[in-house]
Amino acid sequence: MNSIESVSRFQMSRRGFLGALGAAAVIPLLAACSPGGVAGGGGGAGGGGGAGTIKFWDMPWGQANYSRAGKDLIASYKPAAGLGAASYQSIQWNNYYQTFSSAIASNTGPAVSSGSGFQAFQFAEAGKIAYADRVVDALKKSGSYDDFLPGVFDALRTSQGQVAIPWQMDLRVLWYRKSLLEKAGVDVPTDWASFLSAGKALKKIGVVGFATGAGSGFNLGGHAIVSMMINNGGGMFDTEGNPDLVTDRNIETLEFFNEMVSEGIIDPAAVSYTSENLLTQWKDRKAGMGINTPGWNASVGDTENDVLVGEPLVSPNGTKGSLYYVNNLMMYTASPNQEASEAFLEWYVDNMKTYWQQKVITAIPVRRSIADLPEFQENAQNVKIVDVWQPISQTYSARSTSSFGALAAVDGGQGMQTFSQTVLAGKSNPKQTLTTFQAAIESLMKKKS
Amino acid sequence: MATSTLPPRTRARTKPTGRAPGPAGDLRRPRRRITPMNLTLVLFVVPSVLLLLLLNAYPLGFGLNQSVRDGSLLDDGQFVGLANYTDALTSTAFWEAARFTLIFTVVGVFGSWIVGLGLALLLRTRTPARGLFKVLLLLPWVVPIVVSSTAWNWLVATPSSPVPQLFDALGWGTPLFLADPTLAAITVCIFKVWVSFPFMMMMSASALASVDPVVYEAARMDGASPRQQFTQITLPLVARSTYISWILMTIFCVNDFPTIYLLTGGGPVNATTSLVVLAYRSVFQNFETGSGVAIAFLMTAVLVAVSVVLYRQIRKVDTA
Repeated sequence: MNSIESVSRFQMSRRGFLGALGAAAVIPLLAACSPGGVAGGGGGAGGGGGAGTIKFWDMPWGQANYSRAGKDLIASYKPAAGLGAASYQSIQWNNYYQTFSSAIASNTGPAVSSGSGFQAFQFAEAGKIAYADRVVDALKKSGSYDDFLPGVFDALRTSQGQVAIPWQMDLRVLWYRKSLLEKAGVDVPTDWASFLSAGKALKKIGVVGFATGAGSGFNLGGHAIVSMMINNGGGMFDTEGNPDLVTDRNIETLEFFNEMVSEGIIDPAAVSYTSENLLTQWKDRKAGMGINTPGWNASVGDTENDVLVGEPLVSPNGTKGSLYYVNNLMMYTASPNQEASEAFLEWYVDNMKTYWQQKVITAIPVRRSIADLPEFQENAQNVKIVDVWQPISQTYSARSTSSFGALAAVDGGQGMQTFSQTVLAGKSNPKQTLTTFQAAIESLMKKKS
Repeated sequence: MATSTLPPRTRARTKPTGRAPGPAGDLRRPRRRITPMNLTLVLFVVPSVLLLLLLNAYPLGFGLNQSVRDGSLLDDGQFVGLANYTDALTSTAFWEAARFTLIFTVVGVFGSWIVGLGLALLLRTRTPARGLFKVLLLLPWVVPIVVSSTAWNWLVATPSSPVPQLFDALGWGTPLFLADPTLAAITVCIFKVWVSFPFMMMMSASALASVDPVVYEAARMDGASPRQQFTQITLPLVARSTYISWILMTIFCVNDFPTIYLLTGGGPVNATTSLVVLAYRSVFQNFETGSGVAIAFLMTAVLVAVSVVLYRQIRKVDTA
């Protein structure tokens, strides 16, 4: 038999060939898509990192040199015998949630990470978070726990346990430009009535009394409204965590916003303002007051001590309050060694003060010992935020004490943007606006449950 | 044994057809056998087929699977059948977004076509520094959308921006171009026309270049007015290119995310939320991948239908 004959004997039907081809194509796809298809567990560093190395992912929380400081800090970690070392990976803020989600879903995520307010809750509900109760116990044992500011641990606790450890805070506080209030001939407001008067006086000199924005990709306007709702004893949820927006306190708050818009205290174009527009307004001395983040004076470029933190306003009902987020440090179930993750996290929270000592971060610390550092005490505005604003602040889930993952979708979702733009447009019926927003939140939470 | 020198395919065609059908009236084509030559050819194609499967079929299948589940970015969720599609089709937000998408697309396609064709006709005349004008007119298309949207934001966003200030100086008040829902929708549409007209101009210019000037000369000799020349000669002769540019611009407009999102974010109060922005919000802000992907598939279905209609128009032009 010659070779040509032997080849011609190997014949199959076209259909058979296509079937075999399809099977061959599907096998690698199925292998890649199967849960165990990705080799190598998450949380451990690949390459030269060693199998037991704890991967720590961190966002750029501060100035340009923050990540360098973070890398140096992690490099100084000396694990106990038998526990893995740690590696540092900086994750950009752009699409960070997608970055984490895809990595965790493919089992290539970190063992420990920093994260924004609700990130730990979202991943905990998906079963991807290793609860930190043992770390809390260790911190209590070492005495570190008592160094944390009141309420910050509670903000990260669910019925299942401690989803994360507090790392720093982001608050919404009242800022004002001293020179403009003086020019308008009014004192720094202390309650809603004096705030309204100050706003009217500022309007007379061509200055916006309540500077905010709710434009593309900017949710400060929503935060400002929620802050004022909390300030008035309201909030978005009841004590059980169910949406509860249509309350007298919230209606009163929205009526206050309507009045501010009608009096010209809120810029009618604020609905479309981006962060850049707002910053320009403050830099151009066209903004007299507004609710904003810590470090706003630095963002505005104030070097004359003219942009200052005010006192929390007293609402018509005699209450005080504002909104705050407890950013946190969380552990993931896909760790090469859970004991090593916990040891690293405990070490990290006891050594994170270096960021404030090196002044690479302007965020508000969660530990009293960091707030007492001379480097932090130099900034009188930040000190005031810790001393005056933090104790009266509540989380996004107010009036509930515990948070949940759906809050991330509420905070950054379409419902909140529509709500804030409707309120800042000033033409809304408060009860109807709150009812619509409540329906949007209920729908969102129903789908998440 | 007698063998044919013809390739198998030719042999199959030259087989006598007067063969009596089998017991079941078997008129099926005989099964073709894969010869070594065909096998070799097919094996050459296999890498491309696998690549296509990985790049197109797999994501499409994955997307379809997502659209019938209630998952998030983290997990696939439960199978919910067509619930995401029915939810979308029965929601007010979807139809409001569809309405704005339609307006945005119609204005974007025909607005940019009218401006582009007009400029292309203008540039055919003996204009000084015509090359320079061509380059300058291409800038809106060439400049990254992030840059141009930032520039437009600076021009119109606040009452102290240049355009509202100009309106104020003319005694027309200070319109809130991005804060008023109607004005925001108009602004976004104008921005789209501004970004897109250079593309239409290029398409029209290339089509006009292929029209023989002799045709116009003959028409003039027959007494055709400029208007008649435009409607009876120019438009029919560039019709094929026009339909193609409409198809492309329709796809560009319906799928346009950055033009809208960077300028208004879909606001104020959803006034400029298109279907693609709605899909983005569903997936990346509400973390509902199923709803977002279902909206995207509905958009795709509409786009395919529109494209088919316009392609038929092209065929009509070709056969005319």
